[in-house]
Amino acid sequence: MAQINWRTINIDALDPDSSTNFDLSSLTPHIEAISTSEIQQVGGQIRQLLRGGNAEGALQAALENVPYGGDADGKAQHATVVSECLNSIRATEMSPLLSRLYSSQNGSELCDTLMKYLYKGMAQGAVSKPAAGGNSHGARNVSGAGGFTQAGGRNFGSSEAGGGMSVFLSWMEKLVEMVGPGSIVRVMSDRRTV
Amino acid sequence: MSTAPEIHHLFHAPIPDHSFSADRSTLAVARDTNIELYHRTGKTFKLQDELRGHDKTITGVDIAPHSGRIVTCSQDRNAYVWEPSPTGEWKPTLVLLRINRAATGVRWCPNESKFAVGSGARIIAVCYFEEENDWWVSKHIKKPIRSTVTSVAWHPNSVLLAAGSTDGHARVFSSFVKGIDERPEPSVWGERLPFNTVCGEFLNPTAGWVHDVAFSPSGDALAFCAHDSSVTVVYPAGADQPPQAVISVSTQLLPFTSLLWSSETELVAAGYDCGVYRLSGDTSGWQLTGSLEEAKKERPGLEQREESALNMFRSMDLKGRSGGAATEDTKLKTVHQNSISTVRRYEEGGGKVARISTGGVDGRVVVWTL
Repeated sequence: MAQINWRTINIDALDPDSSTNFDLSSLTPHIEAISTSEIQQVGGQIRQLLRGGNAEGALQAALENVPYGGDADGKAQHATVVSECLNSIRATEMSPLLSRLYSSQNGSELCDTLMKYLYKGMAQGAVSKPAAGGNSHGARNVSGAGGFTQAGGRNFGSSEAGGGMSVFLSWMEKLVEMVGPGSIVRVMSDRRTV
Repeated sequence: MSTAPEIHHLFHAPIPDHSFSADRSTLAVARDTNIELYHRTGKTFKLQDELRGHDKTITGVDIAPHSGRIVTCSQDRNAYVWEPSPTGEWKPTLVLLRINRAATGVRWCPNESKFAVGSGARIIAVCYFEEENDWWVSKHIKKPIRSTVTSVAWHPNSVLLAAGSTDGHARVFSSFVKGIDERPEPSVWGERLPFNTVCGEFLNPTAGWVHDVAFSPSGDALAFCAHDSSVTVVYPAGADQPPQAVISVSTQLLPFTSLLWSSETELVAAGYDCGVYRLSGDTSGWQLTGSLEEAKKERPGLEQREESALNMFRSMDLKGRSGGAATEDTKLKTVHQNSISTVRRYEEGGGKVARISTGGVDGRVVVWTL
């Protein structure tokens, strides 16, 4: 008889009822897979619209063509495109633009997608800040606690992530005024991530 | 709408489920591991009896309108059927559900021959009384449920059963039991329906947990509310055809936990916003039409303390409030002070529901006039 170590058998993989064999894709309707090149194409078109001055159209196009089926890189690229659109729209134009977006056909879904990108943008800001602070410390090699905090403080003030965050926050304020907490709940419960 | 809601603040504990008897004089309320029976005396409800038997929190209670039997289910994986006796005592009968996880909710079917219990074991136990053994027996509906069943609702023909689950799907099953049920009329949900046939499976694009499901009064439409703050209404077309219409209404409010049809074209839903809302529509579209609460005006006679500078600074220092006496922000503006857990029919007339009752986490049972 073969010497099988019974204790190393992964019983969960063999049990059809176990949670490891739960097919998570059955929880959402079917999502088409999108290749990264398609996402780049769409990104290029949106950037063209932006250069042409049509920020509203660019944002609408970006929110309609969400790459739910793409891989992590593709999704990150599309998120960069969306944040470019958001950055290029002036603060005074935000509210009228949002109300036009909401009242358009499919408006509430577009607003939910915008909310998802806002949360994603804010999450990325949090990740890049400590990393940038760490780099600065390594470059300076000044000993002492005082030197480190000085470097950290200076970096936060001038980093791109710090500046970008306020854009997301102001968008978030205007959006929540229009769509309410229902949209935030949808962002948290939706399995299709951006 | 002009009559004020009847508020009964029973105790300071959450009410997971409540049920009124047929004459509305008895109210059964689930309170932790016991059922409290309240009897109406005049305008209030007084505690009359307590049904003890469960070991863990009771999650569902339902009173059958005709026979007066009470069925309860709890997290201890059991269900009891309580029969009223002439002396006023309640005799419990244990029902073997054969589930290995908590039961989440129970409902009698319209003709009271069966009841369905949803559970965390990914099973719905449909229980019926077997005469020869004098015993309640359960049959399981398993496939294709992938996760906890949160709610069950019966079709008027007592054979079709809708179930909402945390896998984001609302499904319609046939629970036809040979010997207990008569063959149902063919309906838009299907024709020959053996036990455990799936007559329909519906999913929201955002796929949040389904909190509650309900059939329309005629049985030809199904509504469910999910945790993604939406209400979806499905109009089926026929047995194997795609549905006539699936309309999803995304709301701006917090999710609803319970809903019911007040007529063929109107829904009443309540949830984490602590208020009751109406939705109306038909196969072409549905929308949120408003709340049952009246806008609370400032009650001028009540809190008339001096608006002196001293009081304002004192309240800022003491309570961190800068509004002085005018802002009453320790209470919610809605009648319920915490989320609502169930909405049930109270009074019906002419095919429409005239009054509904809601029970919430704040320990209140409120009867609303629609």
